[in-house]
Amino acid sequence: MSHWAWLIPALPAIAAVVGLFTARWMPGGPAVPAIAGTAGALGVAVAALAVVEDAPARIRESSVEWSPIGGMTLHVGTRMDGLAAVVAVMVCVVALLVQIYSTAYMAGDPRYSAYAAEVSLFTAAMLLVVVASDLFELLIGWEVMGLCSYLLIGHYWQTEGARAAAVKAFITTRIGDTGFLFGIFVLGLGAHTFDISGVTEQASSLSHTTVTAGALLLLAGVVGKSAQFPLHVWLPDAMAGPTPISALIHAATMVAAGIFLLARLYPVFVAAPVALTVLGIIACITMLGAALAALADDDLKRVLAWSTVSQLAYMAAGLAVGGWTASVYHLLAHAAFKALLFLAAGSVLRTVGTNLMSEMGGLWRAMPVTSITAAIGALALAGVPPFAGAFSKDGILAAARERGGGLGTAVFVVGLVTLAVTAAYVTRLFVRTFLGGYRGRAQLHESPLVMTGPLVLLSALVLALGLPALPHRYGVSRWLGAPPSTRSLHVGIGEVALTTLIALVSIGAVLLLHSRRPATDPVAVLGPVARPLARAFYVDEVYDTTLVRPVRALARGVVRVDSGGVDAVVVDAGRTAGFAGGALRRLQRGNIQGYLTGLVAGVLVVVISVSLAVAR
Amino acid sequence: MTTTSAMLPVLLAVPAAGAAVLTLAPLSDRAARLVGVVTTSAALVVSVVLAADFDYGNGARLQHVIDVRWLPALDVRFHLGVDGISLPLVLLTTLLTLLCAIHTVGSTPEPGRPRQLLALMLLLEVGVLGTFVAADLIVFFVFFEIVLIPMYFLINIWGGPGRRVAAVKFILYTLLGSALMLVGFLVIYSQAGTFDMVRLGREHGAHLSSGIQLLAFVLLMLGFGIKSPMWPLHTWLPDAHTEAPTVGSVLLAGVLLKMGTYGLIRIAVDEVPDGARRAAPALAVLAVVGIGYAALACLGQRDLKRLVAFSSVGHMGFVLLGIATLTPIGLQAALIGNVAHGVITGLLFFLAGAVKDRFHTSELDELGGGLLAKLPMTGGAMLFAAIASLGLPGLAGFWGEMLAMLGAYSPGGGSSRPLFVTLMALAGVGTILTAVYFLAMLRRIDFGIVADRWRDVAMRDVAVTDVVAWTPLVVLAVAIGVWPRIVLAVGESAVSGLLR
Amino acid sequence: MHLALAVVLSALLFGVGVYGVLARRNAVALLMAVELMLNAANLDLVAFDAYWRDRLHGGQVFALFLVVIAAAEVGVGLAIVLAVFRLRDTSDVDELTELAEHEPAQVADVTG
Repeated sequence: MSHWAWLIPALPAIAAVVGLFTARWMPGGPAVPAIAGTAGALGVAVAALAVVEDAPARIRESSVEWSPIGGMTLHVGTRMDGLAAVVAVMVCVVALLVQIYSTAYMAGDPRYSAYAAEVSLFTAAMLLVVVASDLFELLIGWEVMGLCSYLLIGHYWQTEGARAAAVKAFITTRIGDTGFLFGIFVLGLGAHTFDISGVTEQASSLSHTTVTAGALLLLAGVVGKSAQFPLHVWLPDAMAGPTPISALIHAATMVAAGIFLLARLYPVFVAAPVALTVLGIIACITMLGAALAALADDDLKRVLAWSTVSQLAYMAAGLAVGGWTASVYHLLAHAAFKALLFLAAGSVLRTVGTNLMSEMGGLWRAMPVTSITAAIGALALAGVPPFAGAFSKDGILAAARERGGGLGTAVFVVGLVTLAVTAAYVTRLFVRTFLGGYRGRAQLHESPLVMTGPLVLLSALVLALGLPALPHRYGVSRWLGAPPSTRSLHVGIGEVALTTLIALVSIGAVLLLHSRRPATDPVAVLGPVARPLARAFYVDEVYDTTLVRPVRALARGVVRVDSGGVDAVVVDAGRTAGFAGGALRRLQRGNIQGYLTGLVAGVLVVVISVSLAVAR
Repeated sequence: MTTTSAMLPVLLAVPAAGAAVLTLAPLSDRAARLVGVVTTSAALVVSVVLAADFDYGNGARLQHVIDVRWLPALDVRFHLGVDGISLPLVLLTTLLTLLCAIHTVGSTPEPGRPRQLLALMLLLEVGVLGTFVAADLIVFFVFFEIVLIPMYFLINIWGGPGRRVAAVKFILYTLLGSALMLVGFLVIYSQAGTFDMVRLGREHGAHLSSGIQLLAFVLLMLGFGIKSPMWPLHTWLPDAHTEAPTVGSVLLAGVLLKMGTYGLIRIAVDEVPDGARRAAPALAVLAVVGIGYAALACLGQRDLKRLVAFSSVGHMGFVLLGIATLTPIGLQAALIGNVAHGVITGLLFFLAGAVKDRFHTSELDELGGGLLAKLPMTGGAMLFAAIASLGLPGLAGFWGEMLAMLGAYSPGGGSSRPLFVTLMALAGVGTILTAVYFLAMLRRIDFGIVADRWRDVAMRDVAVTDVVAWTPLVVLAVAIGVWPRIVLAVGESAVSGLLR
Repeated sequence: MHLALAVVLSALLFGVGVYGVLARRNAVALLMAVELMLNAANLDLVAFDAYWRDRLHGGQVFALFLVVIAAAEVGVGLAIVLAVFRLRDTSDVDELTELAEHEPAQVADVTG
């Protein structure tokens, strides 16, 4: 496998380049290279999975010399194990479905060829992150993903919202990425290698400060890319991009890259418990805060975005308490049901022409397939068994309970509360969109097969992914090679019963509110509390005042200082020379006797000083 | 190896001959452009042959050396040679000059006269190449000065409305730098007794007292700092770039700025290492201030070319930071940062020049938006260049910035670690600000809706010469970004040799 | 005769000559004062030659040099004064200021 694993990121990359430059002449349009590339990568990834199946914890690495830097050498190559293979397959599946779905969703878009190429490039970059063997190689994939995210969020760049959102996304993640880069420095220089294997193997033998500092800095990158507090602000705005992109990038893959990084480099974090505690705290804050924000937003996609932030926090919390397998399982489950929900949302948005749930309602009659698949996704998100997402969440809560201590208890309690809120907001979403009476004015119809097909496939996947919770041939524990000192996945009946009960109570409460007053938003029952929730606790406003405005003012100040201050010194030096010349000019009066007087005076001075010097 | 090789004199003679032909022969405009392209292609071919013939295993040693008597009364020999540090810069110079000549075929700036324009460009090329291959301090100084006059005329005759002021400012300020540099050379000579750079490098400051070394380094730092440019000696750059014609800006940013940092590496660090060690923290602080200051200044700019000019100050700040760390990693950062900046900012200035040609203005407010809609290829190239310039990993600009910060994480020369790590963090903030201003720039001109006043104006997107001129730079930006070895491996042994 | 007498006389004559050069307005008077200075120097040379009595008689030789130079200088000088007088109808030195630096009409501020 070492010899062909590199094809996994390479095929979509080639497809991107081919698609971009030959779009005009390709029979079948730009979709052909895009779908072909992604399908090829999927094939190779499945083959890789088959190879690692027997020993998922064993690492199969292959690399070549890349570049000398200072005294060290960088290598570039692939590092496959169970985790990498499974995640690669997941990425390829979602990417492929999104590409197929996009052929209908983006039909008629004049820039479709650029779109398809960017999605291919993005897929290649994410796969590079997954299979990378070197930290800088991973960073390249990481940042190229960020670039594609920027380009795709800004796809509708004629609109101000898309432009602003794209920049916000890039800059916010860049802030995190700077910390990430410094973390690579600390760990790489500490371990004298930038190979991921080298760093993870030596993690326990590095000095405590080194590994803690490195882990905390890496966390900055995770927080940025996976949209955790305080760098979460870009994800809801990123919904300005086309919905298939929201499904691919902002639900299933790019944002999951942060969680993947944590899982990949887990030995480093295990060696730095402080970092895990910090991660846990951030996760708890994010989990609940985002869920509450989802409860009050009127925009369908923004609710799903907040939901993603919250679910990612679940995964992060799981990793913080040692539930490695449970977290990765949740990553996979979330990819499936969130992609499903987003694509269903896309189907809805394409029909009704608006994002706002206040103008939807009653769509189940006209869009049965979309509604049913969305219901499946919603139940999975709420954590109702046997759908995917139920057992993974339970696994995380179980790991938290097992760990105990302050962190474990906090994660457990916050996790349960968030579960309730999650079930509530997803029910609200479903109710406002699909139930009741239609409040809008568009012509309602079901979406074409090319769009509903992927929805059905994903629903099947969501149903199927409930099964891997069990420790059997297709059990998730068997396919992932969990690092040592992590808790294995096991779901107790008590856990499942408790969480299902909470979920069902929440769902029931919202349904009750809806049936009493079908026309109003169920969140209105919260009264004045709804306002700050809808504004996401005003975090955006705080950033605007404390960061954006001062930087702009500072920029204006610097420009003034440059032309008025620094440059003024130079220009004034020139002017001084001019003035001095002008002043000296006045000595030349043209009067010979004046010159001679000066001469005589000078001679006298010289003679006197010389005689005095000689006399001494 | 003391065999005399004729390659370097040939390398210098080719553009000189071209310049002579263009000046003396009464050629038509078309013939002049042809001569320009042919000469610069020939120079590129010679430099490629030089690179092919280069012994990469021995990168630390000067190769293709020529060492003959020149001015015995001044103790000056005509000593040329190329090693792992100068080779990439030589290739960069010949490539960029060729691309500029090709650009001139496509469009010559007001008031025309391609004969004189190309003659001056070729003379400029001689000066720059001579600087990079000089192995004697006075030879270095002579070629350094040769560069100034053609650039002055380039700005003064073919420049924009404010060209007189910009040209005078440029030449007087850089002459001041040259004067300081010369004094530095003389200080070194006064104690070392030789101008020969190879001998001085081998001695590594052994015969120079610590005080003299510090004095010499400070003088050289100021002199080269004006050229690099180093904050706060940078104010000549924005004016010069804004008023210069496209080819002037490309050569100024792509090649001339490298002369300053090259001088610092080759002369200051190699020959007065003690002075370098003592002054390194100051250099690093000024470099990082430059990074942040330039980023903020870019954010507030209203003119596209001025924005790109300030971005140069920021990028060279990273190069200077790399030098100040006095580590192999830091110097490697400087080398690859130099090449990457030359490629990427050269491309940016080509694009800015193209925009200015089509729209007859480079004011951001007047350009409006929608460049991607109006001129798709130009807009797309601008998008690429901006992304490359903000240091996206995977493209050339990343390595220079990253290695400079990596070098700062564990600085050499006994410098204070806490200081340098703080500077590294500030430089990291600088990269964030760099992304901010480039994305803000793209948002203003590339994206958005085409402004009313331009909607019905017919504009040609790209000419053949544009595609030919831009493509090598795009390819190099990706190639160096993905495979940095092609620059880093060349200078590896030379760099470690510098820091013994 | 004591050397001091000649030297003092020479100094006094030189002083009168300097006064005349710096203070007289008439160009011819200025030239006469220059003559006076030259002859004072001559007197000095002769006096010192008498004092040293060296074999080459350098003082006397240089005195003769000076006589010739003074004559030549007066010839050229008076010719110039005559030409100027014919042109400008004045021989007042204060009137002859063509070599002065005038304030330029407009300062070309190249520093911008």
